[in-house]
Amino acid sequence: MYGFEALTFNVHAGYLEAIVRGHRAGLLTAADYNNLCQCETLDDIKMHLSATEYGPYLQNEPSPLHTTTIVEKCTLKLVEDYKHMLCQATEPLSTFLEYITYGHMIDNVVLIVTGTLHERDVHELLEKCHPLGMFDSIATLAVAQNMRELYRLVLVDTPLAPYFSECITSEDLDDMNIEIMRNTLYKAYLEDFYRFCRKLGGATAEIMSDLLSFEADRRAVNITINSIGTELTRDDRKKLYSNFGLLYPYGHEELAICEDIDQVRGVMEKYPPYQSIFSKLSYGESQMLDKAFYEEEVKRLCLAFEQQFHYGVFFAYMRLREQEIRNLMWISECVAQNQKSRVHDSVVFIF
Amino acid sequence: MEEQDQMQSSIEVEEVEEQQREGKRLEEENVVRFLDSLDSYVTLLDSLSSTLRQGWLELASARQSMGASRINGALLDLKSHSAATSLQVTHHDDEILNQPHFTLCKWASSKNGYGDEKLRENKLQTNSDGPQLRHRSQFAGTPEKIPETKGAPLIVDDQVQKERTKSLSMFGTLVSPKLRAAQLSFETALETLVEIANVRLTMLSTSDQVRKELEGTEG
Repeated sequence: MYGFEALTFNVHAGYLEAIVRGHRAGLLTAADYNNLCQCETLDDIKMHLSATEYGPYLQNEPSPLHTTTIVEKCTLKLVEDYKHMLCQATEPLSTFLEYITYGHMIDNVVLIVTGTLHERDVHELLEKCHPLGMFDSIATLAVAQNMRELYRLVLVDTPLAPYFSECITSEDLDDMNIEIMRNTLYKAYLEDFYRFCRKLGGATAEIMSDLLSFEADRRAVNITINSIGTELTRDDRKKLYSNFGLLYPYGHEELAICEDIDQVRGVMEKYPPYQSIFSKLSYGESQMLDKAFYEEEVKRLCLAFEQQFHYGVFFAYMRLREQEIRNLMWISECVAQNQKSRVHDSVVFIF
Repeated sequence: MEEQDQMQSSIEVEEVEEQQREGKRLEEENVVRFLDSLDSYVTLLDSLSSTLRQGWLELASARQSMGASRINGALLDLKSHSAATSLQVTHHDDEILNQPHFTLCKWASSKNGYGDEKLRENKLQTNSDGPQLRHRSQFAGTPEKIPETKGAPLIVDDQVQKERTKSLSMFGTLVSPKLRAAQLSFETALETLVEIANVRLTMLSTSDQVRKELEGTEG
């Protein structure tokens, strides 16, 4: 019953909620970002990060640093925090925490399959996989020739198995099929996660419904924009949209027939929450759309911490850390390429 | 008689002066041509630098947008491909500009593979004054130039767009507009590189001519 979580939540999840709120306090502030944006070299960035929670992960890295090294080590911090919370969690929180990583699992599966199609070494591909999305038999993905084999040999024993029912064909894996597989899996995952959160009820259902609906809507917009000018048909495009969210179903009908960014804008401006996002963009421009969406997402994720006794704080923390790592990646790239004037193009401040 | 001799000598003097003026004019023309090519060379180098900077930043931006797992070196295709772009070297028969000329053949059709490769090998083995194709492509294989038909620019544009999309497909078929922008930047940089090569050849050629004229004058 909504409103009575305070009676029982702390019994099983009180410790972990306190932990995650402590982790939240360790996120980088605007002052930290201002210092980082003024760095001249990647070693300067390492020096500034040594005073943050990333310090222990970067301190032993030798110079010269590379941007991928900084991202890799900062990701280790996220992975350690996650694993600590997962091993302390009981049901249903443990299942909730596992759901958060399925997106990375899908990305890793597609990475291995695509890389194998391009005749890359599987060990090289495994090094590029996200650590949160690893599972035991992931290396076996390299032997599959089509989706049926992919499912039968490897994925049937993974949490992604239920999402494969719409993808199983005997068609050979090629670039287009892999892309459709990626988006179909992600759609099935988001819908399943949404149903799980609704079943949990209470504040978790309310907050997570909002966050996942935003995720589904953003995906729909990105799929639309990225498929403009490609061979993806309108029907195929519509099949990739999730069956929930603010844009479902009428927004999806309109997005499916959009042929340029201005038509997408026309559709999205009918929805007040997205009007503010598209008002920041000039006509015909889509470069700043990602940043606008990230800013809106960060706002919603920070609001999740304003309420207690729900699982949304765990999801929000993980996503805020991922945003922070994206910020660090961008700042590192701008410093490495000597393009500090462009650093504020993609940095999204959290506090 | 004396008058005739005087007229003859004055005509000869005028001819010599005319030749000297002509020679000086040619020298000045060569110097101007050299300075023009030097200016173009420096401008193109600057343009290449800024285009490449823009391209690298757009690539980083695409990586930010799509995620590091979708844009990384481990996804580059190692299978053998037909070359999408090749460099054509032609030799001018012009006496003044006896130097090679580079032309970029962008986004050539890659439909035919081995059959055309055999045909091209045979063509290259024959001694001809025609253009000699050299490969400077990112993939192994052979290019085939798209026959540009006048009156069908839209078809050519569509084919070019398809080739561009095919090139990017190693990162997925639904890629961010930022990645497409990065592709265009690097494409422009490639064109600029070929222009730089041509301008550099002109610059070196005119520089040689100017130096020879200076040495001749000092001698």
